[in-house]
Amino acid sequence: MSTRLRAWLFVAPATLLVFVFLGLPVLATFLTTFGDPKGPFSTYAAFFNSKFRMTVLWRTMEVALITTIISVAIGFVTAWVVARAPSRLKSLLIIAAVFPLLTGVVVRSFAWLVILGKNGILNSFLLKIGVISEPLSMLYTQGSVIVAMVYLFVPLMILTLVGVLEGIPQDMTDAAASLGATPAATFRQVVLPMAVPGLIVGSVLVFTGSFTSYATPQLLGGERQMMMGTFLYQRAMVTFDWVGASTIAAVMVVVTLTTVLVMSKVARKLNPVAG
Amino acid sequence: MTQSLTLENITAHYGTTKVLEDLSLHIAEGELVSLLGSSGCGKTTTLRLVAGFLEPTSGAIRLGARDLTRLPAHSRDIGLVFQTYALFPHLTVRDNVGFGLKQRKIGGAERTRRVDEMIERVGLGALADRHPANLSGGQRQRVALARALVIDPPLLMFDEPLSNLDAKLRVDMRVEIRRLQQANGTTALYVTHDQEEAFSISDRVAIMKGGRIMQLDTPEVLYSRPANAFVADFVGFDNMVDMRVISDMGESVTAEMDGGAQIVLPKSQFTVPGKKFIFAARPDGLLVSAAPGAEGIPATLGLRTYIGRAYQYTCETPGGSVAANGPLSAPLESGANVTLVPQPEQCCLLPAE
Amino acid sequence: MKHRIHPLLIAATVVTFLFLLGPLVVIIGAALSDTSFLTFPPQGLTLRWFSNIFEISAFTRTMGTSFMLAVGGTTLSMLIGIPAAYAMARYRVELPAFLGNVFVLPILIPEIVLGFSLMKSLAAGIGLPIMAALLIGHALLVLPYTVRVVGASLNSFDFSIEEAAVSLGCPRLKAFFIVVLPNIRAGIIAGFILAFITSLNDVSISIFLTGPGVSTLPIQLLAHMEQFFDPTIASVSVLLMGVTVAVMAVVERTLGLTFLTK
Repeated sequence: MSTRLRAWLFVAPATLLVFVFLGLPVLATFLTTFGDPKGPFSTYAAFFNSKFRMTVLWRTMEVALITTIISVAIGFVTAWVVARAPSRLKSLLIIAAVFPLLTGVVVRSFAWLVILGKNGILNSFLLKIGVISEPLSMLYTQGSVIVAMVYLFVPLMILTLVGVLEGIPQDMTDAAASLGATPAATFRQVVLPMAVPGLIVGSVLVFTGSFTSYATPQLLGGERQMMMGTFLYQRAMVTFDWVGASTIAAVMVVVTLTTVLVMSKVARKLNPVAG
Repeated sequence: MTQSLTLENITAHYGTTKVLEDLSLHIAEGELVSLLGSSGCGKTTTLRLVAGFLEPTSGAIRLGARDLTRLPAHSRDIGLVFQTYALFPHLTVRDNVGFGLKQRKIGGAERTRRVDEMIERVGLGALADRHPANLSGGQRQRVALARALVIDPPLLMFDEPLSNLDAKLRVDMRVEIRRLQQANGTTALYVTHDQEEAFSISDRVAIMKGGRIMQLDTPEVLYSRPANAFVADFVGFDNMVDMRVISDMGESVTAEMDGGAQIVLPKSQFTVPGKKFIFAARPDGLLVSAAPGAEGIPATLGLRTYIGRAYQYTCETPGGSVAANGPLSAPLESGANVTLVPQPEQCCLLPAE
Repeated sequence: MKHRIHPLLIAATVVTFLFLLGPLVVIIGAALSDTSFLTFPPQGLTLRWFSNIFEISAFTRTMGTSFMLAVGGTTLSMLIGIPAAYAMARYRVELPAFLGNVFVLPILIPEIVLGFSLMKSLAAGIGLPIMAALLIGHALLVLPYTVRVVGASLNSFDFSIEEAAVSLGCPRLKAFFIVVLPNIRAGIIAGFILAFITSLNDVSISIFLTGPGVSTLPIQLLAHMEQFFDPTIASVSVLLMGVTVAVMAVVERTLGLTFLTK
């Protein structure tokens, strides 16, 4: 048996699984959107002309973008400290970040339901200390969705950035100092540029993750804060409008893939040496 | 604007482990001094203390009249070449070299001129716009050198700068380093574990062990007159035999080793350091002789190996096993009884320890 | 000794970790509270919400389904993922580079789109039984993890060891089992367990594929949360957190948790 044939035999089952059960169904979803009797692009025309659908799309983009920005800010500071912590403490902190990451989305979103609810602990606390006289309705707002999303994705950002920051050799920062760079200058001129690829990877993960999330907007946003994920589910499983749902799915795929492609291009531009 | 470097009674700890003990060192203006020793001897720690990456527990570091001891690393104005080169991967050769000038707020035409001049001087003119990833090891080394030199520092430091290069390039680069250092007359501290490198490049060498300097002197003195057994072993005195003086008369001293064999040491060539001492010899310093009247240490030959310029024998003497060389013209067989004749220029006497 | 960190940054980090772990503590507190509504700090301690889990058949049934699905889906993806990862590492020259991207596709395509598409094609289209569709969906979902984690340990595997075994007269297939597999055991275990927890927690794919009579635990929880609001949900969540702890212990013992920062 030739080596090439053997190699292909080994990868064949996995490749087939992906092509048959991911490639074809997703392709079918795409094709559905062009099969409308009113013309091949009528579903997209309908999507982009519908004020409601565009509101959902923009809201989802907005939530994903805000989530990404907050996660980068929190994640970078935390990762910076974690990467510099003594090794014992560092392992503990990494464990503390991995634990929520490996805990399910439902459980983690549920926690915020308990905290932000009408009778939740934040309201009872605020009532008790007298800041408010009646409970605030914090659930089913954009804010509650963003808080839970940030909660969902900060660990991912921390872990990505810890890896990147640890990958910057101490010699680099020492070299900068020996050449006269103050700690602030070292951070700006050496650490930050070298962390850019990691920041981009982390941001892409968080943006696409929050853009396509389902459970969190479902639990904390509800009908009022419909996002692309919940919208897709509603169209597919509640109103059984599969063409409409397929259009939403296609838009999600396009946005996700565009983000990935554009950002990896940006990364390559900002960091011409990587690769 | 070169300056002398002074380390005064430096003691340093990593956590609770003492890594340097009461170390003092003075490097004169324009002098190149190497710290030589195996890993863990404290040579890199010393360099990092001077650079400001570590703080000493006690003691003082001075550059010229300036006290560096508590100064942050970025205010010390020292050119440092790292073992890993530590080139900034996101910057071009030009920006790497210009980094230090940028920090000193030297901009515009002057920066361009100095950077280009320095890049030219290290022979990288054609590669100025490349990134470090696209350079060879030797080229990276040159960028690291240019980056440290362009800031015109009063002190240059090198942390095993050649250990990542292949043998041929290492020799070229150390000549290059010496040339550039002497051209500027910059004071330099050079850390290495390679004896040949240290000896070839330095005005003086400090041989270190366990956080202390065992001997600090010119390469010539270290090579021929080590001060103690550690340094002697380091510079190739493979054979060391304990001796005691039994008579000291006129022109020579007679000494005896364990097992009773005696040697006669002419005072014109040996200075006996005490009643008891160590006789140290390189294999070349003990000539294997089968001639009947030869004077020296009686020995029985063991295994013979060919080392190019001579045959080397393992020899059993009354004082223990030693390695000695014999001429290529007369190979001897294992078991032969011979005399090992000391060759004074490859032998030395050390104080007993 | 040097490189001190600004106290403000340390304070910010402390706040971040309180933010990360606080909500999980809230859940544990709520699960132990002796009240019939969710509250924190707990008022009186009880374990009755844990025993209550087993009174609700929807929970016990979906727990079983989720467990079987996670084991089944992961095993399936391992069976096809290990040979793929092996070939990708071993036959780098013979295989086109884009194949590596093929196995990452399930990450690139939004899960919820995959779930919807599978529902449309498999469940509705060719009428595949719910459990079979779920199994395929979950195997796809975790395939990137198995290929990547196993691949990582294969990348540090020295294939000359395998050649040594073959040169000593060991047949190739046997060499794979007695030389390669034992040396990438850590990667396989870690990959399995990470895939397992991913499958166990999945919502976006399962939400489309579960149907009458067959549901998974996260989907059941989601449904329960929208209707009831009692501490049983909290106690199920605590059980799931327990599974996470076990998973982390296994990963720590095999590849080390710092693997996840790479």
